[in-house]
Amino acid sequence: MQKKRWTFRITGLRILMIALVIIAALICLIRFIYGLGSVTNLSDQWPWGLWIGFDLLCGIALAGGGFSTALIVHVLHKDKYLPIARAALLTSLIGYLIALVSLFLDIGRWYNFWRPFVFWGFHSVLFEVFWCISLYTVIQILEFGDIFFERVKVYFPPYKKILHKIMPFLLILGIVLPTLHQSSLGSLYVIAANKLNPLWWSMIIPFFFVWSAFFLGPAMATIEGTLAAKTYHRKPELHVYSDLTKVTLWMLIIYLIVKVIDLSYRGVFSSAFNGSFESNMFLFEMIGFVILPIIMYAAPGIRTKQWGVVTASVLVVAGVIFNRLNVVFTGMAKSLGGQYFPSLWELLVTIGMWSALILLYCFIVENFPILNKEEHVSDRRVSSGASIRA
Amino acid sequence: MKDGASGPDNNSVTRRSFLKMASSMGLLAGLTGALAGCDDKNPKHPGGNGWLPNQYNAAGNFPAQVRGRVPIDLDNPSIMRDNQKCVLCGQCLETCENIESVYGYYSLPIVDETICIHCGQCSMACPTEAISERDDTDKVFKALDDQNKFVLVQTAPATRVALGEEFGLPPGAWVQGQQVAALRRLGFDAVLDTNFTADLTIMEEGTELIKRIKGEVKMPLPQFTSCSPGWIKFCEYFYPDLLPNMSSCKSPQQMFGALAKTYYAKARGIDPASIVSVSIMPCTAKKFECNRPEMNDSGYKDVDYVLTTRELARMIKKNKIDFTSLPEEKYDPIMGEETGGAVIFGATGGVMEAAARAAYFLITGQEPPALFLNLTPVRGLDGVKEAAVDIPGVGTLRVAVCHGMANGRKVLDAVRTGKAPWHFVEFMTCPGGCIAGGGQPRTAVPPTDAIREQRLASLYKADASLPKRKSYENAEVAALYQNFLEHPMSELAEELLHTEYHSRANKLHPLLFKAV
Amino acid sequence: MTSKMGALVDVTRCIGCESCKVACSLYNGLKPEQMQESKTTPASENVELAVSRWTVVQSHKFEKNGEQIRRFVKRQCFHCQEPACASACFAKAMQKTPAGPVVYNENLCVGCRYCMIACPFEVLKFEWDKPFPRVLKCQMCPDRIEEGQMPACASVCPTGAITFGEREKLVEEAKKRLAEKPNFYVNHIYGLKEVGGTSWLYISDVPFGELGFRTDAPEKALPEYTWEVLKWTPAIFVGWGAILTGLYLYNKRRAAAHDEEEMYAPVDPD
Repeated sequence: MQKKRWTFRITGLRILMIALVIIAALICLIRFIYGLGSVTNLSDQWPWGLWIGFDLLCGIALAGGGFSTALIVHVLHKDKYLPIARAALLTSLIGYLIALVSLFLDIGRWYNFWRPFVFWGFHSVLFEVFWCISLYTVIQILEFGDIFFERVKVYFPPYKKILHKIMPFLLILGIVLPTLHQSSLGSLYVIAANKLNPLWWSMIIPFFFVWSAFFLGPAMATIEGTLAAKTYHRKPELHVYSDLTKVTLWMLIIYLIVKVIDLSYRGVFSSAFNGSFESNMFLFEMIGFVILPIIMYAAPGIRTKQWGVVTASVLVVAGVIFNRLNVVFTGMAKSLGGQYFPSLWELLVTIGMWSALILLYCFIVENFPILNKEEHVSDRRVSSGASIRA
Repeated sequence: MKDGASGPDNNSVTRRSFLKMASSMGLLAGLTGALAGCDDKNPKHPGGNGWLPNQYNAAGNFPAQVRGRVPIDLDNPSIMRDNQKCVLCGQCLETCENIESVYGYYSLPIVDETICIHCGQCSMACPTEAISERDDTDKVFKALDDQNKFVLVQTAPATRVALGEEFGLPPGAWVQGQQVAALRRLGFDAVLDTNFTADLTIMEEGTELIKRIKGEVKMPLPQFTSCSPGWIKFCEYFYPDLLPNMSSCKSPQQMFGALAKTYYAKARGIDPASIVSVSIMPCTAKKFECNRPEMNDSGYKDVDYVLTTRELARMIKKNKIDFTSLPEEKYDPIMGEETGGAVIFGATGGVMEAAARAAYFLITGQEPPALFLNLTPVRGLDGVKEAAVDIPGVGTLRVAVCHGMANGRKVLDAVRTGKAPWHFVEFMTCPGGCIAGGGQPRTAVPPTDAIREQRLASLYKADASLPKRKSYENAEVAALYQNFLEHPMSELAEELLHTEYHSRANKLHPLLFKAV
Repeated sequence: MTSKMGALVDVTRCIGCESCKVACSLYNGLKPEQMQESKTTPASENVELAVSRWTVVQSHKFEKNGEQIRRFVKRQCFHCQEPACASACFAKAMQKTPAGPVVYNENLCVGCRYCMIACPFEVLKFEWDKPFPRVLKCQMCPDRIEEGQMPACASVCPTGAITFGEREKLVEEAKKRLAEKPNFYVNHIYGLKEVGGTSWLYISDVPFGELGFRTDAPEKALPEYTWEVLKWTPAIFVGWGAILTGLYLYNKRRAAAHDEEEMYAPVDPD
């Protein structure tokens, strides 16, 4: 806390990532001058591509860790998970910012972005998504303000005071809003009733989206915690992660059961086994990314090992990404026709944006109190959070 | 505020405050405008600028007359349309429906092809030139550039009285010699004349007519002329039951094509495979005709490319040939001689008049009287013309002439009901005959009778001034029979110069009367 | 409610002259297609709707009763009675006017293209090469309809394949035609029920599936699907918020206080 100087360690990898960000920025410049068609492979048949399908839908889903952790830690007061709470909030905030940037890149008439605040097209799912995401980002920034002012000692008492007063309200809103829009991202596809493959289309697709975004949180926290530990030569919080697996495990099981019931209720269960490309992708998604993690999480021999819990978490995260991409691309391919594969420029922009995410994360973690203080000393707990665990 | 007459100090303050106020008002107005847009009763939408909105360099809802247009298939071999130019004026519909009686004379739904007789009259009526002939000049230029090809060209009777109009000459200007000179300068290896096969057609068709009248061939009367490919397709579509009445003769262009790759190639010692046969026609339907499967009797495609008069003019202009100052040149031999009977093929009634002259000779063996050299009843622009001429030995030869398929319909309906007294009927698809064909210069849009008459007059003037006016006098035709075909309707002549046509009735559900 | 206007397309009466297509580009000032399109391509592939082609005529060849036949289908926006695009638009840039047309207002559009995802017939086209692109489609000439005229395309159809009028009367007319020739027409009015009904109706003598129509379009209006989900939003907002508040308060009593400032610290990058 005594450090006054801002630090940012420069390594070869980081220089490369900065270069990638600059390249992405240049491509964005071209996109704003010459239109979307100049850099993307999007077409009338494929109006949404990588930026929406991956950066927005997956980015928001991955950032879902923020709200599930908030729910577990701040509302259910499972204090043993406190060590990862701030990291989850940070990832979530950066994830949302990235999503907003990619959305801004992707919309054609970006100067009109404020229109939905004024013209209430409330019958649109996107309206809900838009309001929730923008409000939630604001809330996250406010929440982050708490952390920010711990580091930047600007004595501006009213802010902190007000913030602490309204923090419970913000916390709850910060869970309700993401719940709404995570599900709404799924509801976006409800209107594509005759276009999205029935394996993915469902009236309860919003449930699947919000549910998966929720169980993604712990998995995401596990992965990023492990990565951060590796980067900063700390000991991973294995006990937190393997405890979290219980949450994920039960949510995955419920997800699977509801999915099976939903498919049989709509009478399309058999089409998952008809050997078509879609059915294979669906089976791959369910077996590889739902059933396999369930088994891994259920087995104590795997769950309690660092490699086991990380592998299973990677599978869960990959599974959610795979699910989103299946909805946006695999499930729509047949009815849209034509072909879409992201152009080099689209890929570079995406890579640049995720590089920016990592850089921003590193910078903030290195300068703000995000990660658990005592972690690298030993497994001796000083903080109250740790004592509860014992 | 104080009194209006205030000091300069006060003024400057006012100006500043005014500007301030104005700018803030502007902001406010902009914001309110933007916000108020939400209950915009008539939201601005794209499009809807009106017909021909930029006609006078200003937007406006100019009350244009829009009526629609005829269908033209993209693979129509004769005509094509530029959608950028079409203004939907409906002139093509008017022409197709009322002059050619094609559009509207079949019931809907259509079967599987767009009904078109390829006459190109719509391209003559189109005020914006959206409809044009399918341009084949590139292919011909390419053939001319190919050193291994012998490119020969034939010119139809009617192009020589119209081509000059493309170069500023008055309608009907006689440019036969300049046309030959221009073709030579374009690089054609031989410039020949369709008039040669026009005379040949008369010999064949006249012989056939006599055989029909005498009952030597069991084919019905009246005999129909078969020179006009638009008419042939019209008959195949709408009157397939009358196809037996159709003369089995090919059109002069196709007779020429078949002979060019047999008789001419043999006589000149050229490999027929290396011959590219081009024809200059006043007609767009000829482009369709040369692609008919029936037209390969020489063992090759009889006529490779058909250019309209307009396309020839375009080629001449492209090669920067000063057409009007060209010398008059003569056609190349063995298929380049003409008689007056061939020249008037370009006019409505011309085939009939030439046939009458020849028939008289073929039946009686004597020269026809002066009446036959000026058969006025079949001349002129009346829709249906009739004539009866006495020929010793067979009695009265009754003939009819019609042009424009709407007029043709009247004759055909009479034939169909058995009320037709005629022995021989001439059909020309285009009003006025070939001189006003669909490939002729668009000197007046839509084409006028005044121009038709000038072109007709020019043809009849040429006929009157020629030393030989009867087809049987054509020495080169005589030589052809002597050296190659033996006699009219010989076995070889039947093979090369005659064909038969097939019903297209399964392509449409015809209506006897106009639909709408 | 004002009478909603519509149009009835009788596929059997279309001869493929494309007058409608030209009328559309003339009246709406669309950039006409290049000459090349008709110059060299023989009976080419059907062109699809595009930013500068709000209506096209597509030809379909197939066999019927052993006979080769061809049918033309005019395509354009169907102008759904309950348009998915308008319900999907969160800026109200797409709106169904009382007269019938589904109209796009570029001043409101954000350019998110959700309408294109939502459209069950994929008629919406985006100006990909423009810095400020619009979503374009047939507007059904709303100004002309307001003045009591037909849309430009319907006004030039020479064969009467397009009939413009009040939708209800057109449905009657279509039913009459089907009843008059029951063995000729396919007993189906496309657009009567599809996606909750469309302003443009089609009748045909060949099955619509063979003419490139979507046969999997549900009869329920697409916005209804969304609404069935979306209507729960306020309930979830309030209910979920209340549950969370309750849990928060309940758990807070038990929870020990801890000083977050002491718990976290910036990491030392080395």
